[in-house]
Amino acid sequence: MVLTSCYDPVEVYIQLFFGAYGNLLSDPFNFSVALTLKETTVLVFTGLSVAVAFRAGMFNIGSQGQLVVGALASALAVAAAIPLFPSGALGSVLLPATGLLVGALGGGAYGAIPGALKAYADANEVITTIMLNFVATLVAFVLVSQFFQAPGQAVQTVELPGYATFQSLLFGAGSDFSIVALAVGGLLVAAIYYLLEQTSAGYDFVTSGLQPEAAEYGGVDAERTVVASMALSGALAGVGGAVWVLMVAGRWQTGVPAFGFDGITVSILAANNPLGVFPAALLFGTLKSGSIAVQLSAGVPKQLVGVLRGLIVLFVAMPEFFRLLGRYVTPAERSARPATDGGRTLEPRRNGSRPVALERTEGDRTEPVGNNGAASGEKSDDRGEASDDRGGAGSDGEGSEEAAERNGGGRS
Amino acid sequence: MFTTSLLGAGSAVIGLPAVWIGLLFAVLASTLLALLFAVVCIEFRADQIIAGLAIWLIALGLAPFLATVYYGSVNSGSVSTLGTWTIPGLAAIPYLGTVFRSGPSVYLLLIAVPATWWVLNRTAFGRHIRASGESPRALDTAGVSVRQVRYQGILLSGVLSGIGGASLSLSLGQFVGTGQTMVNGKGFIAIVAYLFGNYNPIGAFGASLLFAGLEAIQLRLQQVPGYAVPDSLIQTIPYVTVIIVLALVGRTRLPEAAGEHYESSED
Repeated sequence: MVLTSCYDPVEVYIQLFFGAYGNLLSDPFNFSVALTLKETTVLVFTGLSVAVAFRAGMFNIGSQGQLVVGALASALAVAAAIPLFPSGALGSVLLPATGLLVGALGGGAYGAIPGALKAYADANEVITTIMLNFVATLVAFVLVSQFFQAPGQAVQTVELPGYATFQSLLFGAGSDFSIVALAVGGLLVAAIYYLLEQTSAGYDFVTSGLQPEAAEYGGVDAERTVVASMALSGALAGVGGAVWVLMVAGRWQTGVPAFGFDGITVSILAANNPLGVFPAALLFGTLKSGSIAVQLSAGVPKQLVGVLRGLIVLFVAMPEFFRLLGRYVTPAERSARPATDGGRTLEPRRNGSRPVALERTEGDRTEPVGNNGAASGEKSDDRGEASDDRGGAGSDGEGSEEAAERNGGGRS
Repeated sequence: MFTTSLLGAGSAVIGLPAVWIGLLFAVLASTLLALLFAVVCIEFRADQIIAGLAIWLIALGLAPFLATVYYGSVNSGSVSTLGTWTIPGLAAIPYLGTVFRSGPSVYLLLIAVPATWWVLNRTAFGRHIRASGESPRALDTAGVSVRQVRYQGILLSGVLSGIGGASLSLSLGQFVGTGQTMVNGKGFIAIVAYLFGNYNPIGAFGASLLFAGLEAIQLRLQQVPGYAVPDSLIQTIPYVTVIIVLALVGRTRLPEAAGEHYESSED
């Protein structure tokens, strides 16, 4: 029934690109670019949010809920602070800053809930965060409709005055995109990268994600790390919510877009590396803004991008597929091929080549529900790679070891 | 092995005129998605949580997409419903009788729960399924193909979630594709129900009954006039309960090899 009228894929992608970027040569600051970057900006925050949790061994599906809470907190705080700074330059700096801070606090507090549930009650964070997403949306709706509703029918908070929000520099005033917000995103990417790679707290996070037991023997307080990583993750999503309020919506309103869910796909595509979040967010921002153009010009429903998003995640989730494909295409060059690093948190999956079930230690038996995707496979790894996984060298070594294993055995 | 969130798939291809063909296609669509999940997880050793999430995202986009292509809107037009079947004698029983004046999916449920229990606990196939989750190596040693058992398990899971999705849309007579679609995270609640039911079909049935009861209470409470609590707050009851239940029974005993890949050493 559907296949009788196929869409031309090449045409769709061309439309998608021009829909997302317009004519870059004649006007690099055109409206389409602003739309794309607007989506990208919020996705950077939610992508970072998911990535941080993932690196610490937690699968935070709740970025959406944390974003909603952060957005509401931020909108209310800025609205409350407006009488203090009626106008002027000081207000236009301090008010958005306040909004970001309060958004981070709101999202962080909401993110700490599933963290605490995980740490102290062993409740699987995948399920609790999904449930908390529903709760956040409903409770925010109730709060606004009962206590903070702006005059009128729509359930939304009062509109913030222009100077209290992010200004559209470079791009047109109506574009809802601010380069300042994107710069904040860039700063946070750098800060999170620094935190994870260069500080001892970040090292604790990553070690707990890779090998919880090793981290505990090394003196890491597992419960505190879980709560802290989820709070940080929630805070980043909350900042995303604040940016949505201060840059896009100008107020909190119902029907918050699913930036949090998209953050999951961004993070997975970025292999949970903070530096990868930026290009991944740009890709999904492009897809999102381009899909609207595709719907208008080629008549393809924009929901197709949702399918595309799922397919991207699916392909990223199976590095083995490409390894098999690569072996099929270039059988002779296999040994020369450098080990691909599919992201350190996904890497443990490759240990599946061994009969993992037999290698479990006694201590594992009391472990809760696959306490998350990343860590559960890793636990059975006995190569102690957590100790040498700080830099690329560790993981490269590990990869070539695996490559050697593959080449030597042929597994037959 | 089977922690997946496939239910979103179920209602993908409803909308054919004949209700039972619709049900069949729903099962087919959902099973196909389950097959995709199985291939990705078993052949390509994908992370099951990420792959399950990907399948969920695909279904979440595909169902409204197809509805838009076919109906011109994310919601389907109205189709006929499964209706209700009344069993003459049994429907007269006081209180319990209402059970026998309900839709066919309720009867399917009444058959499926004991049947699943029987298959899992009393047949060779059920033992293989459980062994594949507990100790795949033992199953392999006994000469049974772990791959095959896992394929069968995932496909069966797809069939069942397809029936679930179809009974949602066919009891309403419409597919609603706005937001998180009409499925609205029920697959995830199902995972909790199964956890809460401690990996036993009868227990899962009890847990589902609890959550469904909460859902019904929530709907009823919204209709009580002059009730001071806002509707949206009442709607949170099922979700909050899931969290509380999960926090209380967090330490359920999980199949030993759940979520892990297994590769037979002889290939």
